[in-house]
Amino acid sequence: MEFFLQLLFNGIGIGAVYALVALGFVLIFRATSVVNFAQGEFSMVAAYLMVVFAVDLDLPYWLAFGIALGGMALLGAIFNLLVYYPLRNRSYLPVLISTIGASIFLSNSVLALYGPQPQVLPGWLDIPGFQLGPVYLDSQYLIIIGVTLALVAFQYWLFERTLLGKKLQATSQDKEMAALLGIPVALMIMFTFVYSAVLGGIAGILVAPVLFVSIQMGSTIALKAFAATIIGGFGDVAGAIIGGFAIGVIETFGAAYISVPFKDAFAFLVLILFLVLRPQGIFGERVAEKA
Amino acid sequence: MTITRRAVNLGLAATLAAPALIRAARADGDTIKIGMVLPVTGPAADSGKYALTGAKIALERVNKAGGVLGKPIELVTEDDQTTNPGAVLAFSKLASQPDIVAFLGSIRSTQNHAMAPDILKTGKPVCFGGTDPKLTKLGNPWLIRFRPNDSYSGRVIASYGVETLAKKNWAIVHSTDAFGTGGLNALSAALDKAGAKVAIDQGYANQSQDFTPVVLAIKSSGADIIGSYFTFDNDLAIFARQLRQLGVTIPWVGSPSIITAGAVKLAGPALYGTYGVADYAVDSSPAAKQFAELYAAVSKVPPDNYSSWTYDAIGVLSAAINKAGTTDPNKIRAALLATRGYQGAEGEYNFDEFGDGLHGYNIVRNEKGAIVFDKHIEFTD
Repeated sequence: MEFFLQLLFNGIGIGAVYALVALGFVLIFRATSVVNFAQGEFSMVAAYLMVVFAVDLDLPYWLAFGIALGGMALLGAIFNLLVYYPLRNRSYLPVLISTIGASIFLSNSVLALYGPQPQVLPGWLDIPGFQLGPVYLDSQYLIIIGVTLALVAFQYWLFERTLLGKKLQATSQDKEMAALLGIPVALMIMFTFVYSAVLGGIAGILVAPVLFVSIQMGSTIALKAFAATIIGGFGDVAGAIIGGFAIGVIETFGAAYISVPFKDAFAFLVLILFLVLRPQGIFGERVAEKA
Repeated sequence: MTITRRAVNLGLAATLAAPALIRAARADGDTIKIGMVLPVTGPAADSGKYALTGAKIALERVNKAGGVLGKPIELVTEDDQTTNPGAVLAFSKLASQPDIVAFLGSIRSTQNHAMAPDILKTGKPVCFGGTDPKLTKLGNPWLIRFRPNDSYSGRVIASYGVETLAKKNWAIVHSTDAFGTGGLNALSAALDKAGAKVAIDQGYANQSQDFTPVVLAIKSSGADIIGSYFTFDNDLAIFARQLRQLGVTIPWVGSPSIITAGAVKLAGPALYGTYGVADYAVDSSPAAKQFAELYAAVSKVPPDNYSSWTYDAIGVLSAAINKAGTTDPNKIRAALLATRGYQGAEGEYNFDEFGDGLHGYNIVRNEKGAIVFDKHIEFTD
């Protein structure tokens, strides 16, 4: 039982990271109908920004966090202008390839600027964690879970309760109709990219003290987050979150009770099962043709 | 002066032809070229940087001492992207350059396995650092090893744990790649011989983000010592931290990755008090000390086995080519295998007929982040 609880805690912790990155995937997909393959690199870039400001320049953690997120917002805006905007009227394929290119560009730029050594980013709290009965609670995982839940609540409020959210939803549902209603579609998409970059950045900064800061940290997380997105139903916010937590918990328990070497396989086994049995995901609607 | 179309064309032609002309000028041999496959990108990019630094230090030494066959040596590098296909591609790019006389292969066994068929076809010596014992027993005469293989690391880990630390109930943690599996086999065989028991054997896939299941399995297995074969620094550091968080404090003797500069820095206090087998230890010999001094002059991080084997490989290879007196691959290979008593940073090189140069390991301790030499264990059989 104590093992069960410990595994559950760590599974939820790592799942929260997948959920955050998955959220970024979903938002951009809803706004542009394109999977942004550079979403994982957003996390990596933000973690390196934190290393630069919090470790190298030794600024206070909160200030470094603010600057890093500001940097991510800027990156999201530039990404929108250079990677998406010029191709916005083409089919999804050129945009998709363009995001793959951007992902390679980002990881190799960081490699060239910062070098290949993995870096250490200290956690937000000074205490590494504490023992609660039989379970060791890593303080960073607690922060990750807390921030993820807070962001989910914020996101719900933003999309369901604000005019900006309604405009964003309208844009993602039908761009032409939204434009006819006077919604600045390009600006809404720009906002989506900025917000997704910041979300990915938060995920990267939160997970860095646990997984360390390395060039490939983004791609390993993004792959699982992508699986989470599909399980949840591509384009569904609640689905992405539940998918993220599900992948984290399933792979942890699969590794513990079935086989450690096949840990990564469990996530993708679930993915394949979903693709075969319920391709629309948990929350997806069965759509024969996207109009 | 007016710019005519002819002038522009002439200029263009000259620009286009220049690289080819320069290459042609180089090809007629004012240098001896050695190809090097190393990771510049991908998860092992940091170790690639160390490897290159070690090789360059040796290169400078050799060139200062008059070079090879009266010419300076030159390194031609290709990125293996830390993947097997990348390594194969990198090697074939290098192999297609006829003026390269010998190569430095990978420190990763799995990549050397991947390149082995092409190496056999190319028919030139490849000095490599991977430690899977099988590599020199493939029947591929061109694979020459510059680190002690894992049959030795397994025996040293077992001998130190069983005899010195008196622990007989082992947990083995290993990567599921060629290196980790080779290590598992070597360590289990050595433990079996020493009369110790393997309580649990846990393989993991590289780039795992969470080791909780592995740690909990070790905890419940009742093992009193851990032996490990980790391939990547960040995996090792994540495991080390979770091990300590979940309250496992039994002794831990790891393969060389446990004492690399990267792992020591990432894991910090989580690795204090652990033991590692090290092919390179600063205090193990005067040659090792000299390498540390040369390395300190060009790098801020302390040297480790990523750089020491390339340093030794360039040194031994240069001496062998000089002794062979020619760049004929067969003669270079014969001279390499005839090398006896070469004092390298990793130890004394005495090649056997399989192409293994080193036959022992150092045991070192992590004392609050400093790697301290404990003892050298050499095997003659």
